[in-house]
Amino acid sequence: MSEPKYTDCIKKPGSLSPRVKWLRDYYFQGTARRWNNEYCAYTNGTPWDVQFDEITYFIVPETYAFLKPFVASCRQSAQKVAIPDDFFDQSIPERKAWFTKEVVTRHLPVEILPHDLLCGAQFNVQYSMCLNRKEQMRRNRLVSRAREAVFFLHNHGYGNCGATSGHLIPDYAKILRHGFRKELEALEARYDSLSAEEKNGRKGGVLRAMMTACLMPKELAAKYADTCERLAAKETDAGRKEELLKMAANMRVVPWNGAENFYQAVQSLWFTHMLIMADEKYPGPGVSFGRLDQYLYHYYKKSVDEGMTEDEMKDILGCFWFHCNTAYDAQMRVGGNQGITAGFGQLFCLSGLGKDGADMTNELTYLLLDVIDDMSPILEPKPNVRLHRHSPDRLMDKVVDMLSASQGAPFLLNFDDRSIAGMLLQGERSGASSLIREDNAFEYAPVGCLENTMVGNDRSGTVDNNLNLLKAMELVYGNGCDMLPFRDPMTGKTSKIKQEGPRTGTLAELDTWEKFFDAYAEQTRFIIRKMVETYEMSESIRAAYNPTPYLSILVKGCAEKGLDITQGGAELSYTTMEGVTFATTVDSLLAVKYLVYDEKECTLEELVAALKADWKGYEILQSKALHRAPKYGRDDTESDLFAQKVMALWSDEVWKYKTQSTNRQFRPGMLSWNYWIGSGYVLKASANGRNENQFLSNAICPSNGADLNGPTANSNSVGTALGGRREDGTPVNVLPNGASHTITFNTSLLRSPGHKAKLKSFLRGYAENGGTALQINMLDPAVLREAQAHPGDYRHLLVRVTGYNAYFTSIGRELQDEIIARESHLRY
Amino acid sequence: MRILNIQRMSTEDGPGLRTTLFAKGCPLRCAWCHNPESMAPFPEIEWLGERCIGCRTCIKVCPAGALAFGSEGLAIDRSTCDRCLLCTGACPARALEQRGEERAVSDLFGELIKDRAYFGEDGGITLSGGEIMALAEEAAELLRMLKEHGIGTAVDTCGYCRQEDFEHVLPWTDIVLYDLKIADSDRHRRWTGVGNSRILANFEYIADRRKALGLTLWIRTPVIPGATDREDNIRALARLIAGRADRWELLAFNNLGRDKYKRLGRTWPFAETPLMTKERMETLVGIAHDVGCTCAQFTGMTALES
Repeated sequence: MSEPKYTDCIKKPGSLSPRVKWLRDYYFQGTARRWNNEYCAYTNGTPWDVQFDEITYFIVPETYAFLKPFVASCRQSAQKVAIPDDFFDQSIPERKAWFTKEVVTRHLPVEILPHDLLCGAQFNVQYSMCLNRKEQMRRNRLVSRAREAVFFLHNHGYGNCGATSGHLIPDYAKILRHGFRKELEALEARYDSLSAEEKNGRKGGVLRAMMTACLMPKELAAKYADTCERLAAKETDAGRKEELLKMAANMRVVPWNGAENFYQAVQSLWFTHMLIMADEKYPGPGVSFGRLDQYLYHYYKKSVDEGMTEDEMKDILGCFWFHCNTAYDAQMRVGGNQGITAGFGQLFCLSGLGKDGADMTNELTYLLLDVIDDMSPILEPKPNVRLHRHSPDRLMDKVVDMLSASQGAPFLLNFDDRSIAGMLLQGERSGASSLIREDNAFEYAPVGCLENTMVGNDRSGTVDNNLNLLKAMELVYGNGCDMLPFRDPMTGKTSKIKQEGPRTGTLAELDTWEKFFDAYAEQTRFIIRKMVETYEMSESIRAAYNPTPYLSILVKGCAEKGLDITQGGAELSYTTMEGVTFATTVDSLLAVKYLVYDEKECTLEELVAALKADWKGYEILQSKALHRAPKYGRDDTESDLFAQKVMALWSDEVWKYKTQSTNRQFRPGMLSWNYWIGSGYVLKASANGRNENQFLSNAICPSNGADLNGPTANSNSVGTALGGRREDGTPVNVLPNGASHTITFNTSLLRSPGHKAKLKSFLRGYAENGGTALQINMLDPAVLREAQAHPGDYRHLLVRVTGYNAYFTSIGRELQDEIIARESHLRY
Repeated sequence: MRILNIQRMSTEDGPGLRTTLFAKGCPLRCAWCHNPESMAPFPEIEWLGERCIGCRTCIKVCPAGALAFGSEGLAIDRSTCDRCLLCTGACPARALEQRGEERAVSDLFGELIKDRAYFGEDGGITLSGGEIMALAEEAAELLRMLKEHGIGTAVDTCGYCRQEDFEHVLPWTDIVLYDLKIADSDRHRRWTGVGNSRILANFEYIADRRKALGLTLWIRTPVIPGATDREDNIRALARLIAGRADRWELLAFNNLGRDKYKRLGRTWPFAETPLMTKERMETLVGIAHDVGCTCAQFTGMTALES
């Protein structure tokens, strides 16, 4: 949106203290900043050493071309860190723990930013894999094979997968409560109880590594304390001097010990969190905070009682917000926009259910909402508000007010009733009912955006596997072969079509709908197995070579089992398969049924010929597929129950698998991040009428332009696809990881207090009928212009003015322009 | 039941979030009507040019030869079209749309309650039009079913019907949205095709019983330049309404209906009429308040102030 007349619509930050304003402005100076948090690379000095772990980027196809340059540039820039003589005699976790601690406490710059109230600035690092020559060579070979397999998946339209860092909620609360000191004591006691054989074995190595890692925050905190004291001694401004001494005093307490007040709790939280990103060499994505307003509340209350003001708390939180955003500095010179390519999702959530259906909203919830409001627009940390059927009016009003002020949600909304149903199902299906129960499932929290997990004991592995459900249909058309040969866009080379999947019948043999659907089901089972097998390659590499002992301290189960988290140590160990292209697939199946078997508009051979030709020469058939065939997303019971059947088919299949190397249970979800855009260029034309190179459907959303009955019908369809309700009214959710749902509303919904109440009632209805998570966008002038340009995607966009009722795209250009001009003038 | 369409998540047809059913057919012919597709009681066809792929399927299936491509897209000869609707059924792109269909009340009930989770305390179902009171018996049956399921109901009417029609409907109605357009009967006839005596009598009937029946009564007046916007008209209506309704909405004229007329092959005298100014609407509300009609307010689209 470059036209200045829209600037009125863009949310501006609220009232910030001079300190927070300075930090926020400074952050947005980007590469012009004197200080930044770009990667620093460190090597152990051996000629075979590698720092950058490309596996963690296997799920980001946009980076595939850059993986080798990243590896090479880290090697070139890496500074040497001297290692002890016996370094390679130790187990890999111990080497890793030692090296990380060495880098973080002795090499990484320790700096305090002007006006800042929190210690812990630089944390983005790339450092040695800590492998001996033989190990490194073997790892390189394995990675090379895994890379090839993943590229195949991507190039041929299956999707992508890889053992990815981040994406979990560590047990921060325990560190706030009692610090790393107590963790170390417990680890020592556990280690002492091992037999001599165990001490010499894997368990001993893992525990010793975790013990070393426990000292990392302690030693780094001491360095920050020293730095603050040194700066304080030189500081001439009495106020700042006092602040620096306070920061030093805090660092002498946390995170080694438990926090004594709100300030220390936030300091401890940031420090602990930041070191995970260093430990995993992975800035941000999905390392989430969980229920911030719950576990910080005790400290909030205590500090309020001790006289701390709201403004002082907001100042501390403002600094916390600033630091979270510096995660993006990692690759700030790669691409534009300061390296911000997509929200990383250091997510926290607010409110939600507690024991016995109690609502857990508290005063800190509202304080944090104020901070979100004041700081936005800004990407990190990413907020998510948990709503349920009985969320209090005050919270609902605040949520609606914030939505209306920002032309798009300043937060995501999570819906407890269906989310909790999913967590309980996960417990049952994975044999973990003793760990995920009625009396604790409400303690779940979302990771990244909306990916629900349990907290502090769950490696949820969200986004590890991203499966294009639509690929199964292409394999049906090709009797187990690709529909069209793959052409490498770099080399222009076309590969030969090979038998990849099972032979499910020639097109002539698929002469009934039942046979066609059975073939689809079989190919679906095949693509899931194929992805599971490909995933195993990177999962087993990580388990063997890339432990994260520091993170393992913060996830329950690792110490108990003597297994690093990368080896499956977490008490709850899942890896998630995200279904991508859901609505495109459902609609394509419905279109095949309608066109070929029910209405006999064409034969299956003709339809496949049309798809191969990208519908060229088949425009009438394409139109019928688009506009006459039934679709998911309209609250049409028959189509939505079919969507439910498709959902059950693939999600049931996912539960059948566990990783071989680490015994992690696969579980289904529907995040589909930005793959629905990128994968559109890999997958061919589809039977729902979509052309090649057009976007696929996003997560659980209906296809673009398909939801002709508006937001409530759309939401009802989503609820049905996830499983609807049982006869007793309790919700079902077959996707425990959650399902991303985006709805665009007309801004007229917010034009008066009465209208805001209507949005509130929509949200209460959504809690009952809708999905697990909702992102609300407001229909702004940019969207309307988009609708003018692409009327096909917005056929059912309604314009309502009192009794008047019409489709936006059906009114003349002149009137459209007038409505756009009107929306541009609205201020909320 | 003869309906035009159902709109889910309506925010404009009464309090709260609502599902609105629009009936097809109206006894009035208001010159300014911005939903002309709702007037005729029978199904009509409309051609949406931006959807058309030019495949000529419609021309091929039309048994009456009523369709042809002209300089402005598909021309529908409405004098030869016998509304067999083969074309709307065959159009691959749904560029030809059928406006109006017959649906069973029980079937409508099933669809109308799909959104009940979103209605909350204030929302519910609105039966609108066209003119819903022209289908009073079916409307009463539908409203009864809804009330029996605890769903809030509203009726949006022009009031041009028999009193006994309201006797059927009101027991199952929570809110009446009642149109009063022009106080003077001759002028009313000139602009809407019918005099207003029946409308005023029904208004009296409802206003007198609203307390006893526990009804909420909202009056709505479209403010149309040159037709209903005269100050003497607003003053006269205000005197009728004062103290007898819960709310009076003055709805500012909008010009968004012009493409609809074009698609239906009709001309519209208001096609070039400018929007009301906010100032003018405020003046009219002021007049209403001056004669003691304090429940008056305006809504709708006014001209942009640049």
